Amino acid sequence: MTATQLVGDDTAPTPTEPTAADVIPAPGDGSPSEATPKPALKRRRLGWPARIAGGVCVTFLLAALLAPLIAPYDPLADDRSNRLQPFFSGGHLLGTDGQGRDVLSRVIWGARPSILTGLIPVFVAGIIGTLLGLVAGLGSHRLNTVIMRTLDVFYAFPAVLLAIAIAAALGSGTSNAIIALSVILIPPIARLAESEVARIRSAAFMEAARVSGAGWWSIALRHVLPNAAPAIVVYCTALVGLSIVYAAGLGFLGLGVAPPTAEWGLMVNDLRQFTFSSPGISLVPAVVILIASVAFNVFGDGLRDLLDVKGDGR
Amino acid sequence: MIRFLLRRLGLAVPTLLGVSLVIFVTIRIVPGDPVASLLGPTGSPEARVELTHKLGLDQPIPVQYVTWLGRVGQGDLGRSIAKQTDALPYVWEAFRNTITLSLFAAAVAIVGGIALGVIAATRRGKVASAISSGVSLFAVSAPQYSVGLILIVYLAAGRGWFPTGGMRNTTGADAGTVADLIRHLWLPGLSAALVPLGIIARMVRSSMLDALSADFVEALRSRGLPEWKIRWHAFHNTLPSVLTIAGLQVGYLLGGVIFVEVVFSWPGLGLVVFQSISQRDLPVIQAGVLVSALAFVVINLIVDTLHGLLDPRIRR
Repeated sequence: MTATQLVGDDTAPTPTEPTAADVIPAPGDGSPSEATPKPALKRRRLGWPARIAGGVCVTFLLAALLAPLIAPYDPLADDRSNRLQPFFSGGHLLGTDGQGRDVLSRVIWGARPSILTGLIPVFVAGIIGTLLGLVAGLGSHRLNTVIMRTLDVFYAFPAVLLAIAIAAALGSGTSNAIIALSVILIPPIARLAESEVARIRSAAFMEAARVSGAGWWSIALRHVLPNAAPAIVVYCTALVGLSIVYAAGLGFLGLGVAPPTAEWGLMVNDLRQFTFSSPGISLVPAVVILIASVAFNVFGDGLRDLLDVKGDGR
Repeated sequence: MIRFLLRRLGLAVPTLLGVSLVIFVTIRIVPGDPVASLLGPTGSPEARVELTHKLGLDQPIPVQYVTWLGRVGQGDLGRSIAKQTDALPYVWEAFRNTITLSLFAAAVAIVGGIALGVIAATRRGKVASAISSGVSLFAVSAPQYSVGLILIVYLAAGRGWFPTGGMRNTTGADAGTVADLIRHLWLPGLSAALVPLGIIARMVRSSMLDALSADFVEALRSRGLPEWKIRWHAFHNTLPSVLTIAGLQVGYLLGGVIFVEVVFSWPGLGLVVFQSISQRDLPVIQAGVLVSALAFVVINLIVDTLHGLLDPRIRR
């Protein structure tokens, strides 16, 4: 408040249109000298692990999208005479499960609910968390304290257990799993958004915007949000892997979709009874989730390094 | 130091109130009418009114919250619907086994994470660094249930090197001994340790790199100290932050080992919660979440205190 007034007195009151907002603060020092090449402009690229991981992520997304076209069998068609067939037998690339259903087809179809229950909470929490961060970061000190302390409470829970408690209370089902996951993802995203807003708040163009009489909404949406968005989006990308793991975890516990729908977490729980008789098949969904999680995390991490975004390590 | 402690304790009170409020909300969001489900379809309107009054559901929500909080304060977390016993003793019994598993996993995670992080920081640009960075990234990404099942298939089920589940043998020569317990602890402990191990390794790596680029390291080097001594000094400087992260991870383990417990049939809080889900035994789930959240707050308090002891700067 006082800082604004002070700076407002210093900079001559120039009632021009807020083009000053277009000046994006350079990372690092504000004034790069003319002689040295600006390191901020050096074109950095994703490393090869992140690129490979990105390819794997795209493969998973394509598998989910094209499931009806590429799945070799009906994921729900059981065939009791063909129970627990080994890998590569009778046209079943990944064998069959305890009810004779083709495991590969179930993995492909299972990508739909599994990835959706992972992605949607990140979207929802991303939007709500960003809004909370904007309000907390641009609001009064008291409002900031109220919002941030409230969010701190969620840090007093082990996140997984809170999601389980919410999903269990609401009853099993995909939409309830999505709600539960959204709730636990909001606090970390809001924290990051708030710290980004706090960083941008002190930038010079913000003073210009305030001095030129921009309203709260205009400042929040036209000046702060575009500058905070890249970091928030990258952070959210890095959360997708975690969210998919949690979503499959809820499915594993019986809090996601109902059987016989193909869903990775549910498949893990369904197939783990065969660790002795068909160890290979019993591991398929577990390994698929592992690959998806590693791929989304490596890709998200690559993006994070590229844009130098720091999260709180959850 | 005393003032620091008191202030931390004071800060824990609103957190605990917040925690209790969140759990109260999860009780209230349960769909359906509890009175109707208790009475069944034949309940008369008079019985309905009476039961609603008896359960306190005709009171305003804030009054209901305070009443509920009062009961929780006396250790009354409701009764298990499935077991027909008080939820708290039942949950507490299981929680002790969870503590055993979490402490074992935490020890593995801290030792492994520090080793991996130091290697990654001190051998930059070499194969060992790339491998340890890769391992820690893999570790944070690995879902507990996947790792647990893989370990069961490769080290327990086929080979018989380790038991596939449970906490103790009921028969055999070493049934119930510590050696037996540790044999049962290895696989679930390793599965649970992987994520915190990766997080600690990354933390150690980055703070070790920070410390190694600090001015005092340059000063030590210019005085001709051997490299291992310099690294020891740098490592010493990473301890407060490592301690904080490690403590937080123990807290997460206490609430987060549910999947490991289910996969390995470890008789802990997670297994109890898992069984309660299929029975819709909500009081047990709520008691479980409350107990682990309480433990989490207490651990944070201990970690903060230790941090204050180690690093006088944060006592202000």
